[in-house]
Amino acid sequence: MTNLISRRDFLKLGGAAAGALAIGEFIPPLAAKAAREAGTLDANGDGYIPSMCEMCVWRCGLLAKVEGGRVVKLEGNPDHPHSKGKLCPRGQAGLMNTYDPDRVLTPLVRVGKRGEGLFRKASWDEALGIVAKNMLDIKQKYGPEAMVFSSTHNLSQPLFENLLQAFGSPNYGTQRSLCFNAMTITNIMTYGTEEPNRDYSQVKYIILTGRNLAEAISNSETQDLIHAIDRGVKVVYLDPRFTKTAAKASEWLPIRPGTDLAFHLAMLNVIIGERLYNQNFVSQYTVGFDEVANSVSQYPPEWAAKITEIPADTIRRIAREFAAAAPYALAHNGWRTSNFVNSFQTERAIAILNALMGNWGTTMFPAGAEGAGLGAPKQPAYPRVSALRLDGVPWKYPFVPLQYGVIQQMRDSVLAEDPYAAHGWFISRQNPAMSIPDRKKTLQTLSKLDFIVTMDIIMNDTAWFSDVVLPEASYLERYDPLNVVGNRAFLRQPVIEPQGEAKSALWIYKQLGGLLGLGDYFQYKDDEDYIQQELAPLGVSLDQIRKQGYAELPESSSNIYRWSTPSGKVELSSATLDKAGFDGVPKWEEPPAPKSGQFYLLTGKGARQTQFGTQNNQLLHKYDDEPGLWMNAKAAASQGLDDGDMVSVTSDVGQIYIKLIATQAIRPDCVYMQPGFGHLSKGLTTAYGLGSSDSDLHVTFTDPISGGQALSQTFVTVKKA
Amino acid sequence: MTDIKNIKHKAFLYDATRCIDCRACMIACSVENKIPMDKTRIWVAGVGLKGEYPNLDRASMVYHCMHCEEPDCMSACPVGAYSKREDGPVLYNKDVCIGCRYCMNACPFGVPHFDYNKGLIDGAFIDKCTMCTQRIDVGLEPACVATCPTEALVFGERADLIKEAHARIAAHPDRYIDHVYGETENGGTSYLILSHVPFSELGLPPLTSKPVKEVSEAVMGLTIPFALTWGAVLTGVTVGVHEYNKRKENAAKQTVEAEKESEDAK
Repeated sequence: MTNLISRRDFLKLGGAAAGALAIGEFIPPLAAKAAREAGTLDANGDGYIPSMCEMCVWRCGLLAKVEGGRVVKLEGNPDHPHSKGKLCPRGQAGLMNTYDPDRVLTPLVRVGKRGEGLFRKASWDEALGIVAKNMLDIKQKYGPEAMVFSSTHNLSQPLFENLLQAFGSPNYGTQRSLCFNAMTITNIMTYGTEEPNRDYSQVKYIILTGRNLAEAISNSETQDLIHAIDRGVKVVYLDPRFTKTAAKASEWLPIRPGTDLAFHLAMLNVIIGERLYNQNFVSQYTVGFDEVANSVSQYPPEWAAKITEIPADTIRRIAREFAAAAPYALAHNGWRTSNFVNSFQTERAIAILNALMGNWGTTMFPAGAEGAGLGAPKQPAYPRVSALRLDGVPWKYPFVPLQYGVIQQMRDSVLAEDPYAAHGWFISRQNPAMSIPDRKKTLQTLSKLDFIVTMDIIMNDTAWFSDVVLPEASYLERYDPLNVVGNRAFLRQPVIEPQGEAKSALWIYKQLGGLLGLGDYFQYKDDEDYIQQELAPLGVSLDQIRKQGYAELPESSSNIYRWSTPSGKVELSSATLDKAGFDGVPKWEEPPAPKSGQFYLLTGKGARQTQFGTQNNQLLHKYDDEPGLWMNAKAAASQGLDDGDMVSVTSDVGQIYIKLIATQAIRPDCVYMQPGFGHLSKGLTTAYGLGSSDSDLHVTFTDPISGGQALSQTFVTVKKA
Repeated sequence: MTDIKNIKHKAFLYDATRCIDCRACMIACSVENKIPMDKTRIWVAGVGLKGEYPNLDRASMVYHCMHCEEPDCMSACPVGAYSKREDGPVLYNKDVCIGCRYCMNACPFGVPHFDYNKGLIDGAFIDKCTMCTQRIDVGLEPACVATCPTEALVFGERADLIKEAHARIAAHPDRYIDHVYGETENGGTSYLILSHVPFSELGLPPLTSKPVKEVSEAVMGLTIPFALTWGAVLTGVTVGVHEYNKRKENAAKQTVEAEKESEDAK
C-alpha cells in the first residue's frame, strides 16, 4: 500500500525505514533468566521486569512487559518519580535500540585505513589485549597523561573515571561543557549545589528562558509543566523560536538571541527598584544584596528593551507579576545553557532572581546527594598525577569541576600538542566526532592519534574512526551501578540476555583494569557482586530488590536553609568570582552578533532524538520529522529561497548542504537546525545520509568562567545550493 | 479507578490543549501492535503551525479510529467484516473481508486504509486501531493512552469522560471551544475531543449528529447484491495482482542470484 503517513501528508517516513521489520516481526526476546527467577512472572510467563531507561539522561523507571516469557514492550514505571508510569517517545522506542540491526555484537579491530570502515571480528581476549598493550605502550613512552579519556553521563561513569584515575591520566572529557556547565557552575556558586530540584506542585508563575520542555523532554518535569499549565499557571517563555513549548505558554517572547541576560537584569532592576523582593529571605539567607542592587540600577527595562527587542512595559509587567506570585514563582534555570559567552552571567541573574523572591522552599529545594548511603568496593588510593590537564582545568578554567572538563579545549590541545602531545584516546559511550564544535578539527585530531578505542552498542561515528570497537550490552541487557532518586536506590537489571558477545561496562572496565595491572581498583567478582556491595549497608540483597526494582534508603533530614557556599548562605554576590577577577555580580556583556547577510545558527532538541545517539533507531526515525534548516518564511522569500530548496549553509569553519524549511516559527535573523544528524559512519544504515551536522558549522568559543561552549555564537550565510 | 475490564462503554478523551505532539502514543502503538515500519495506526492531523510571525499558534491532534457508536464502515461492509463490540471498540475481521474498500469510502474520518501490497492469501487488507482489545480485556489502558506523558489522552467510561470534558470547558471557558467533538457527531463516537481551535483545524470533518450510515444504508440496500458481485471481481483482480507481484519478485531474486553466481565465477 502507499505509505499511509505521507499519503496524508502529516509525517514523512524516510526511505531507510520503509520495508524494515516491525519490532514484532522479530521473535520477541526471552526475558533474562535472573529476572525470571526472581518471581517477576506468573505461571504463564506473564509479568513485568522493572529496570531503568537510558534513552536520555533523565533515567526513567521502566517496566519491561513480558508475555509467555518473552519481552514484548516497555512501559513507564509508576513507582519511579522520573516516569510516573509514562515513557516518552524515546523510551517507547527503547526495544528498537536493543534490536537495532546495526548493533555491533563482537569486538572489532580495524583492518583498513582509519575512517575507511573496514574491521575484522576479534575475540574479547584479543581485543582487550590490543587495547591494554597500546595503553601500556603509550604510558611507558609518553607517560599516562598521553592517554585521554572521555565519556558522557551514564551510570557506569564512576568506574570509567576509576579506570582513568588508576591509570594516572588527568585528561578527561565529558559532554558537560557542551551542555550545562553555565547552569551547574552558577548553581554551585549561588546555592552550593549543581542543580536544585524544582517543584511544580504549588507554582503559580513560571519563566522559561529557552527551556523547551515540550520538545527537549525530561519526562516527569514535562508532565509537571503541562499539568501546571492545565491548572492555569502562567508561563512566560523566551525563545527566538515558536517551539511546541511556546505554543503551550501563556506568553511567548521571541527574544533576540544572546540577550536573555539583559532581560533578567531588567527584571532584577524592577524588583529591587520597586522593593518587590522578599526582604525577610534576603536579609536572613543571602549575602551581597547591596552589590547586586548597585549593579542592576543601571539596567532599567527601557535599556533592556533596545537590546532584547522586548517592550519595556512587558518586562516591567512580567517583573511585577512574577513578584506578585512569589514565593510560588519559578524562573527556570534551563538545561543546555551553552549558548553565548554571557550564558554564565545569564544563569547567575536567574539564580539571583529566584533568591530575591524567596522561591527557595516553595518551588526550589536542595537536590539529594546521589549515591548517599550506598556501599562501594574497597580500592587503593589513586597514583599522584602531576601533569597539567590538556583541557585547561583548573589552570585556565579555575571554576570548572574536574569531573566536568572542557572537552572542546581538550580536543584543541590534543590537535595543537600544547602543552604536550597526547597519543591515545579512550571513548566510552560518547560520540565526539559528532558532538564537539568544528568537526573538521575533531577529525584531524582523531587522525593524528596513535590509538583510539571506542565502546558503544552501535558503530557510532567515533567508533568508525577507531582502531578497536568494544561492543557494550544495551541498557536492556546489562546491570549498571544503582541510581539514587529521592529515598530509593533504583536498579538497572538485564530484562533480556545480552545479544552476541556484547558485555556490560562493569565487566569491560574490570577486565581491562586487570590487564593494565590495576585489578585492585576493581574489587568485585562480577556485575551482581558490585551491586551486592552497594546494597550491603542497607541490609538487602540484589535478589530481594529485583522484583520491586529498587531498595529503600533511610530517610535523611537536613536543614534546607543551609547552603554549601563559602558564606553558608545564598550568594547573590560571589566573592569567589571577584577574587578570580570575574564579575561577582552579573553585569551586561554584549555578545557578538551576525553581520549583515548572516544569521544566528540556533540548535536545540526535538522530542524524538537524544543528542547524537538515537538517530539510527528505526522507530524514532519512523515518527520523526525530516531534518532541515528552519528559516523565517519572509526572510527566505527575501533571499529568493523556497520551502524545500537545498541550501548551502556556511560558517567561519565549515559548510553543509541541507533542505530548507521556510516557517513562520522563527525570528527573521535566525536559522535553526536539530543537532544529531549528518552522521559519518556508514555503519549506521538508518541515520547515514540523513540531514546535516551542526558541528560542521559550530565555531569553538569557550566561556572562561564555566568552560561552556557558546553554541549559538556561530553565524552563517545561507545560499541556494 | 474502575477496573478497565469493567467499564461498560469504553472511550478515549483527547485534549488538544495538553498534547505536545511528542508522538509517544504512535511509537507505543507501533510496538504494542507490531505495526510494520512503513505503516501506522495513529497519525498527526491538523493544520499544524498557524498564523504569521510573531502571532502564532499550533493546531494538531493525534488521529486514529473514532470507534463510532454507529460505524459507517460496518454498515458499508457488504460481508460483515466489521463489528461494534458492546463495550466500545469497532473491530475488523480479516478472515471475512473481500477487499472491496467500501469501508474506506464510507468512513467520514478516512480511517480504514487499504494495503495494496496484500491479497486475500495474506489476510488483512485493512488496518486500523482496535482500541488495543488485547490490553483492555486484561485491564490495561490502550498503549497510546498508557504512555501519554501529559495525559492529553485519557481512557474511561464514555459518559464519565463526556462529563469530565464539559467540566474542563466550564473551568476554563477561555481556553476551550465550547464543544466536545464526538459527543454527538455521526451519532456519537468513542474518541472524544477537546480543542482550543476550531475542530476543522484539527482535521476533523464537520458532521451532524445524524450518522452517515443512515444515508449509506439506504443506498447499500440496493448495492449489496451488486457489491458482492463486484467484490468477487475485485478479489479476482487482487489475487491476480498478487500473483503477478510474486512472480516479479521471484524473477528479480533469480536475476540477483544469477548476478551473484556470475560474480562468484569471476
